[in-house]
Amino acid sequence: MLELGLFYTSATVALVATVFAVTRYNVAHALIYLIISLLASAVIFYLVGAPFAAILEILIYAGAIMVLFVFVIMMLNLGSPGDGVEHQWLQPGMWIFPSILCLVLLAEIVYMLSSGDRMLQGKMIGPKQVGIDLFGPYVLAVEIASMLLLAGLVGAYHLGRKYLIDAREES
Amino acid sequence: MSMTELYSLLPMITLTSVILVLMMVIAFARNLALTCGLSAGGLLLTLVSVFWVNHDLSAGFVTPLLVVDAYALMFSALIVSGSFFITLIAYGYKVQRGELQDEFFLLLLLATLGGITLAHSTHFASFVLGLELLGISLYAMISYPNQGLFSLEAALKYLILSAVSSAIMLFGIALVYAVLGSLSFTEIASNVYQDTGFDRLFILVGSGMILAGISFKLSLVPFHMWTPDVYEGAPAPVTAFLATVSKGGIFAVLLRFFTTVDSYQYETIISGLFWIALLSILVGNILALMQTSIKRMLAYSSIAQIGYLMVAFIAASEIGGKQLAIEASAFFLIAYFLTTIGAFGVVTIMSIDSTDHDQDGLDKYEGLFWHRPLLAGFFSTMMLSLAGIPLTAGFIGKFYIIAAGVKSELWILLAVVVIGSGIGLFYYLRVIFTMTKQSESNEVNVSATGGWAMAAVTLLLVILGVYPAPVIEWVSAVAKALV
Repeated sequence: MLELGLFYTSATVALVATVFAVTRYNVAHALIYLIISLLASAVIFYLVGAPFAAILEILIYAGAIMVLFVFVIMMLNLGSPGDGVEHQWLQPGMWIFPSILCLVLLAEIVYMLSSGDRMLQGKMIGPKQVGIDLFGPYVLAVEIASMLLLAGLVGAYHLGRKYLIDAREES
Repeated sequence: MSMTELYSLLPMITLTSVILVLMMVIAFARNLALTCGLSAGGLLLTLVSVFWVNHDLSAGFVTPLLVVDAYALMFSALIVSGSFFITLIAYGYKVQRGELQDEFFLLLLLATLGGITLAHSTHFASFVLGLELLGISLYAMISYPNQGLFSLEAALKYLILSAVSSAIMLFGIALVYAVLGSLSFTEIASNVYQDTGFDRLFILVGSGMILAGISFKLSLVPFHMWTPDVYEGAPAPVTAFLATVSKGGIFAVLLRFFTTVDSYQYETIISGLFWIALLSILVGNILALMQTSIKRMLAYSSIAQIGYLMVAFIAASEIGGKQLAIEASAFFLIAYFLTTIGAFGVVTIMSIDSTDHDQDGLDKYEGLFWHRPLLAGFFSTMMLSLAGIPLTAGFIGKFYIIAAGVKSELWILLAVVVIGSGIGLFYYLRVIFTMTKQSESNEVNVSATGGWAMAAVTLLLVILGVYPAPVIEWVSAVAKALV
């Protein structure tokens, strides 16, 4: 019963954060809410017995991809007008609500860790089991996914190259 | 994996190695003739390996993800030959568009691999992976032209709507998984669950969402909004690919899912399918009537054609008519592939010199019979086949659909098919009449490979219309094995 309460709390956090991410006018603020939404779904993954997926969610989505986003936004705002924009982003007060959402998640995690393994149902799937499955019955999925990445790479290369050439001609 | 399993994956392995070789060749020498030759040769090699594996086939699962059987191999053969013809037709078109065209063929091969994966998939994981492989290659192919915001707009529309439909479909898959605890089609079929209350609701809503996602990719009404814009904005060879290979692969997996899981048992889903088919035929045909752009007209006509296909798909819900219905949809799809590739092939050839925008205005085709009689002849054959005139494959395909509908007693849908075909006759024949008008000559340079490929497609179309027996035998053997 308690686990169900934990689930609904983090699900609510995820929903609220996603709604805020979609409705913010300011990209940087939207990104913060998006990160919280990803963290909340990581907590849900942990609750249903998939700690490995939870860690991947944080490492890849909340970590790597978000950092890329932030880099892109920073590079789009070069120079002194960019400083003004950045100043506007860092207005005091906007951090309060995201922090509250984060604190809720933190409280949940601290509670779960202090009271042993808590999960909804089923059994815990660790990294070892995931690895065995990926290179056992699902090895072809890994292969097809590698081709998928190749397609993405070739496509991104071609589309990006177009702008590189344009930029070179201008300079 | 054992040797026999690897052997039965030979077509996929061949195509993957061709992709890797092609990638290395492009990295060292950019030569469009070489790239195109390699891709065409690689696709031919894949086709040979499909028949090779089909020759002494021991049907069975290869890992839980894929299944190699006569059905998968038939659709693979169809998809690979479609890509082969599109490669040949695209060559002349690409030559005129300057440098940096080599990656196009690489993307084409990758998308073909996605299509083959779909034909083989018997698990939601491989289904989604194949779908995304196809989709991601297509985004890049649609936005390929270097200049032109038009294609970029089309790609953006396709990207966003396709991502939304994928999300809806994934949600549906999650709902089905929540009840049945498996992603494999055969396990979904055999797992028991309580057919009441929430479980039933979850399965129904989940299947409905999966169906909505697939209907988007097949551009069925009411999920068809993107079709005309994307078809118009994409380069003509890509439009041909989008209309044939992509839809063929998705239809293959849809039919396999429904026959394996037997989703036909749900009245709600059948009546949903009924409305989808009915609306697709009517809306597609009526909206095609007044189009002045050939590409938009073909887009609406393809909505209607897939609507006809859905009639056969619904006919498979009757147990007695199942085999005939599967046979009919497979044959209709073969005819649809040939016709659509041929029609967009003519648009491709006409647009070879106009690098900023494809020649798709109906007025550009005025007097084509007097300047380019052979090309106009090919185009007329395609239009006649789409309209379902005898001596073309389209006639046999439509005949098959009606036979399947009669056997399963779908009278309302059959009436709609007849009405739709009547409306269709008007706009297909209008194209032919436009081509017979007298007008000033406008020069078209037909590339040799494209011309020969078009000749081959037209010849195949007529042969299938006059002597369809071998293909019918093949198709019915496949349908028998599947039922």
